[in-house]
Amino acid sequence: MKALTERLPPWLPSRVVIIFLVGFAIVFALPFFLPIPETLHGLMAQAFIFMSAALAWNWLGGYVGQVSFGHAAMFGVGGFVSARLLLAGAPLIMAWLAGGVVAAIYGLLWGHPTLRLRGPYFAIATIGVGEATRLVMTFWTSFTGGSTGVSLPIQGGSQYQMYWLTLELLAGVVAASYVLRKSPLGLSFLAIKEDVEAAGDVGVNASSYQDLVLFLSGLVMGLCGALYASYFAFINPGDMFGFDRSIGFVLMGAVGGIGTILGPVLGAAVLVIIQETLIASFPDLYLGLYGLLLVLIILFEPLGLSGLILRAARLGGYRPSASVAAGGLSSSAAKGRSPGAGPGRVLKEPPT
Amino acid sequence: MDTGNRRTVFLLAFLAALLVAAACAPTEEQGQSAGDAEIPDEVLIGATLPLTGEEADVGGYFKEGYELAFEQINDAGGLQLGDQKVPVKLQLLDDTTNQQTAANLGQKLVDDGASALLGTYSTDLVQAQSTVAEQNQIPYVNGGGAATAIYQRGYEWIFGALAPIQSLAISQMKWIDIHQDKGQLPKPAEIAVIWENTSHGEDYLAGIQKFAEQSGGDYKVVMDESFELDTKDYSAILGKVEAEDVDFFMADAHLPDFLTMHRQYIARGLCHDIRTYGARGSEQDAIEVIGQENVTYILSAVWWNDLLVENQPKVNEDFIRLFKQKYGRVPEWYGALSYDTARALFTAMENAGSVDPEAVREALASLEMESVVPFGTLSFPEETGYQADYAFLVQQNTPSGSSPIIYPNELATGPGIPKNPNC
Amino acid sequence: MKQALDLAVSSLLLGGFYAAMAYGLGLIYGVLRVVNLTHGGVIMAGAYLTWVLFTELGIDPYMSIPIILVVFFFFGVAMYWGLVRFLPRGAAGGVQSLLLLFGLWLLMRNVAYLLFKGDTRSIQTSYATKSVNLLGTSVPVTRIAVFLIAVVVLIALHFLLTHTFTGKAIRAVAQNPDSCTLAGIDVERIYMLAFGMGTALAGLGGLFVATIFAFNPETGAVELLKSFVVVVLGGLGSVLGIAAGALVLAVAESFSILFMPSFLTAAVGFVLLVVVLVFRPGGLFGEKVLR
Repeated sequence: MKALTERLPPWLPSRVVIIFLVGFAIVFALPFFLPIPETLHGLMAQAFIFMSAALAWNWLGGYVGQVSFGHAAMFGVGGFVSARLLLAGAPLIMAWLAGGVVAAIYGLLWGHPTLRLRGPYFAIATIGVGEATRLVMTFWTSFTGGSTGVSLPIQGGSQYQMYWLTLELLAGVVAASYVLRKSPLGLSFLAIKEDVEAAGDVGVNASSYQDLVLFLSGLVMGLCGALYASYFAFINPGDMFGFDRSIGFVLMGAVGGIGTILGPVLGAAVLVIIQETLIASFPDLYLGLYGLLLVLIILFEPLGLSGLILRAARLGGYRPSASVAAGGLSSSAAKGRSPGAGPGRVLKEPPT
Repeated sequence: MDTGNRRTVFLLAFLAALLVAAACAPTEEQGQSAGDAEIPDEVLIGATLPLTGEEADVGGYFKEGYELAFEQINDAGGLQLGDQKVPVKLQLLDDTTNQQTAANLGQKLVDDGASALLGTYSTDLVQAQSTVAEQNQIPYVNGGGAATAIYQRGYEWIFGALAPIQSLAISQMKWIDIHQDKGQLPKPAEIAVIWENTSHGEDYLAGIQKFAEQSGGDYKVVMDESFELDTKDYSAILGKVEAEDVDFFMADAHLPDFLTMHRQYIARGLCHDIRTYGARGSEQDAIEVIGQENVTYILSAVWWNDLLVENQPKVNEDFIRLFKQKYGRVPEWYGALSYDTARALFTAMENAGSVDPEAVREALASLEMESVVPFGTLSFPEETGYQADYAFLVQQNTPSGSSPIIYPNELATGPGIPKNPNC
Repeated sequence: MKQALDLAVSSLLLGGFYAAMAYGLGLIYGVLRVVNLTHGGVIMAGAYLTWVLFTELGIDPYMSIPIILVVFFFFGVAMYWGLVRFLPRGAAGGVQSLLLLFGLWLLMRNVAYLLFKGDTRSIQTSYATKSVNLLGTSVPVTRIAVFLIAVVVLIALHFLLTHTFTGKAIRAVAQNPDSCTLAGIDVERIYMLAFGMGTALAGLGGLFVATIFAFNPETGAVELLKSFVVVVLGGLGSVLGIAAGALVLAVAESFSILFMPSFLTAAVGFVLLVVVLVFRPGGLFGEKVLR
């Protein structure tokens, strides 16, 4: 054991590996110990999918600082590619992976030129990409079934098994999130987020790194789309590629805590719970609720729900490492530099 | 805390969590409604309808039909299951005309113990929601989804009371054909088909194309354009129609799109001899929103019409009377088909003598029920994937506000006018 | 060719509509450096207010223009005073303000759902389905009315910005707020004024939308994006730039039906947006790129 520990890279403490493995084992074994009602079981599987998606969105939005309002484009591509392959008889995992890869490539296609843009320009461009994708996909009836959508082959009992499959994806994505954050690679991302020009000066090729993140993000988004399609056995372009879907990812990341790992996971969990509770009685309300949450979060706690937890933990004596401060939408360095910033109170800074 | 202590704390927490979890283990969940062969005290039937959102108007009409059916059967004591009379309850939720919501709510209804589901309205919602029923192996009977795609997925639990859209298109073309043969309409005739980009619209286009192909050149589809549901601006499409200068304007749209598109059609000063929006055109809503003079001579084809009294079983008359009594006006096909869809489910349950899903499913598959539909019998043949098939009623709006049936001849109540005198 | 003339006429009318709708966004970005994501929400609110005035009080939509302008001006001022003035400006803080305004937009959407349900509404005036013959093509009356009003508004704006002290102050602040403070201009007041004006114009855009199209609480997203296309295309220099950008978008959308299915013409604007952003973030008229 000690030998293994010694071989781990310095940014990967052994306790993190242990916590991760133990946590995974617990959640994996949970349904065998506790009689979880089928609805909750299914809900957890859905939550795992969205947690993975939120984390993947966060790689681009939180780590590199490029907030995308068009990530549903990749989610949808993954879903439909996988659905069509499954309808043509392809094996399950193959179809899912194909969905992920095609989505990743698509992401790179529109991402490479647009990632040159910074901040709000990039965000607006992604809205355009998302909507254009939705329109073209909706039009392409032979691929997506038009506004009606596509039904996947129904395999008995498959919804039940999705719990473990989605959990495995989530585990992989969490691990990747940690690696992307803490490794030297992660430092490069941070540099790009802070100041892309300065980063270039120290030899960080912003373009290639951003492309890499987008590719990975797209890959996972596509996989999530594919799993989502298989879970529900029915998808339609309005939902998969919709602006609401893209908004969902932004909300999960922002409300949960941009730039952290716990954040998107929390954000996704909260959103799935709210949606499930409100859907029968107040189907239109939940978006407004998220809107309110978002406004409150931005105004008072830039690190979102994970920030709130950090505060609570700090009260209990826990001292976070300095790199946590690098989470959030913009770090302290950028604060003093806005040209033409008017007088007035600057927004609360993330905790350091 | 150093690493060693941390690990200990964690391990203890883990064990504690397990203990707590074991102690609080929830009791066995309520038995699934599937496989329950006992006759319950009350039969719970679940349904969602678009009560708000784009299809809110029609959702409301469907609600009327469902509620009338439930009221009628409960007034008689309930369902006759074996030797007991059991009341039926409808649990109706609003799916806000959203496919995902319809699917999620369908799942919720099943989880809450519904023995069967009555369908929602409009092909898109039915196609999404029916998947849930199939996954859960619960009977799903709907009077709101007419596209063949719904029934061609090899599903066993989905039953459709609406005849297929392709037949709708073909019925219209057959009536048109009669008049083309008489020389009252141009031959060859050029047709523009504007279809909503759903499986519903695809069916409509396919029906017209099929007829045109088999006509040996009498009809040519020179233009076909799809549009997204809830499009607000049809100027691009209508501009193209104007430029093509076609003889027939044949569109397939749901109510909100029909209203929007036709207003813009009129505003552009367009006029064609044959104008149709598939199943739309005769609604009271249309007269109110667009104006009587603008909807005159619109051709449509529907699954039922209140003029359908000749040679129909008594259930038709009774239905119209009861509907008028309860709602104070004459029903449209929405009310009639939703009413009979519910009745079909009730009849199947009575035939099966239980609410056991498998038994009900089989009863539905072999159902032959006296019905309000044209020619009086409703059944769900296996060959069509359990979609009912019966004649469509082609109708045309007259300047006086009525919409007589003009085809098929056995059921016709008035002549149709092939050439639009206003153009 | 008759069709080309048809398309030219409809492009012109559409261009006027887009220009009027986009100016509010451009004004706010130009002066405050804030991408106002509530622009779509305000358009939607403007449409609903127009509808309410029409159905409850019987006021013809075009008669309610002054009401809409005033109501939304004050709404904008309130939004600025209560929220926007605390936001960091410029690209560095851009994403934060983007998300905040976005959250606000979601809230507005929801309030609309609560008040009006998700049903689609439209304004059925007596002249709603009438059309007029213009150069051989039939044009709906409502479109002409919107175009004419839009032109009047834009001319008035241009006059305001070039010939009044306030207008010139606004333009000065847009160029260099710090020097303005030195010159004695109350920059905060100008910001508030500009935000109010931008919101009022967005509300007016909503009025236009309500008279030409049907709408529901989802309305606004597409209008926001198209407004952004217009602003990016035309640069932020002047009313003329916005008008030209709007015309380019309108022409691109209208004439694209000659080459592609009508369904896809809606995507033209979005593709144009991405292309222009990537290749000329300074707009077609080469305004300085704003960072």
